[in-house]
Amino acid sequence: MTQIFEKLALYFTYPFVRYALIVGVLIALCSSLFGVTLVLKRFSFIGDGLSHVAFGGMAVAAVVGVTNDMLVVLPVTVICAILLLKSSTRAKIKGDAAVAMISVGALAVGYLLMNIFSTSSNLAGDVCGTLFGSTSILTLNKIEVWASVILSVLVVIFFILFYNKIFAVTFDEDFARTAGTPVGAYNLLISVIIAVIIVLAMNLVGSLLISALVIFPALSAMRVFKNFKSVTICSAVLSVCCAALGILISILAGTPVGSTIVAADITAFFIFWIIGTVRKGVGK
Amino acid sequence: MKKRWIAALLALVTALSLTSCGAGGGNTATDVDLTVLSSTMVYTEVYNMVTTPENYLGKTVKMAGTFSIYHDEKADKYYFACLIADATACCSQGIEFVLKGEHSYPKDYPKVGSEITVIGSFNTYKENEIVYCQLTDAEFV
Repeated sequence: MTQIFEKLALYFTYPFVRYALIVGVLIALCSSLFGVTLVLKRFSFIGDGLSHVAFGGMAVAAVVGVTNDMLVVLPVTVICAILLLKSSTRAKIKGDAAVAMISVGALAVGYLLMNIFSTSSNLAGDVCGTLFGSTSILTLNKIEVWASVILSVLVVIFFILFYNKIFAVTFDEDFARTAGTPVGAYNLLISVIIAVIIVLAMNLVGSLLISALVIFPALSAMRVFKNFKSVTICSAVLSVCCAALGILISILAGTPVGSTIVAADITAFFIFWIIGTVRKGVGK
Repeated sequence: MKKRWIAALLALVTALSLTSCGAGGGNTATDVDLTVLSSTMVYTEVYNMVTTPENYLGKTVKMAGTFSIYHDEKADKYYFACLIADATACCSQGIEFVLKGEHSYPKDYPKVGSEITVIGSFNTYKENEIVYCQLTDAEFV
């Protein structure tokens, strides 16, 4: 045990480990807060679709040669988030079909562009790293760290300030509309924020694993708690703990960061599922 | 009002925690020992060395990995490198090394693909307008 702490103390002298932990925890916090809304509105797969769009955007950024790829990835993902939201209400291609179409389309075009135009000597490695987030969170530069921190803080501030409206829009849109809440505007804002979270989370777990970061903490919390506030708080705490634990385990054991965090989330889900089942049994 | 205070406090705490993460690192001025780090840490540190070589110039680096060679047939020149893989095993990167003194390949070198540990001074050089990193005056440990 002492050896582990000594090793951790050594690793924490590296700035990139500290940056990864700060950014990772903030991203986990954001994704869990809005994860509850996504799960309750049955939009879980939109996160997955948008993460593939973000991959496509990243490929375009790499081909164009943009130094900070967030400048391309963020607007592209936000536009697609808005399109997906609109498509679920009035387009000819509806719901899951639209998500699937945009998702696989962006993934395929992204990989195609990278194959044709990429100047990288290790294309397979770049693609693999982007999809599974092996070490992306540990290789952020200072600009990316600041951008991630500022965006994360803005997302959390938005959630705190508009908690009541988000609650209303999540549970009963018709009632919220009747009460004078501009439901369309809030849905638009939520989808833009989801897109921001997806772009941020890509650095933490890679584009294929983002959905896990959004869905697992919310579902775990729902096994034990039954009201929106408790579920949101539990989901946030759980997500932050799993992200921190995952990052620490991955740097200590030399495992891929993204999948280690998701493995921690899965373990937490099963623990909460057991707790929920036991509590239900005791309650009867 | 209470929510606004919480939001402002959150922003402040985050900004302070980030500014406290200044320069530093586990590397001393003379030694970067990659052999004591986990594979994820080694991969990240080598990534940093390759992307920001100016931060490591002149430092003595010790690393363990797989021995690899590249033969430039035009110039009939051999390049030797120590390769490391990331945790997903899909990405690998390495650092070239030049042994101290006179040596000939293959007599003085291990088999390609074997595990090696090298120690040398970190430097960069330019070839065809591309900056490469290498460990000079290197020795097998």
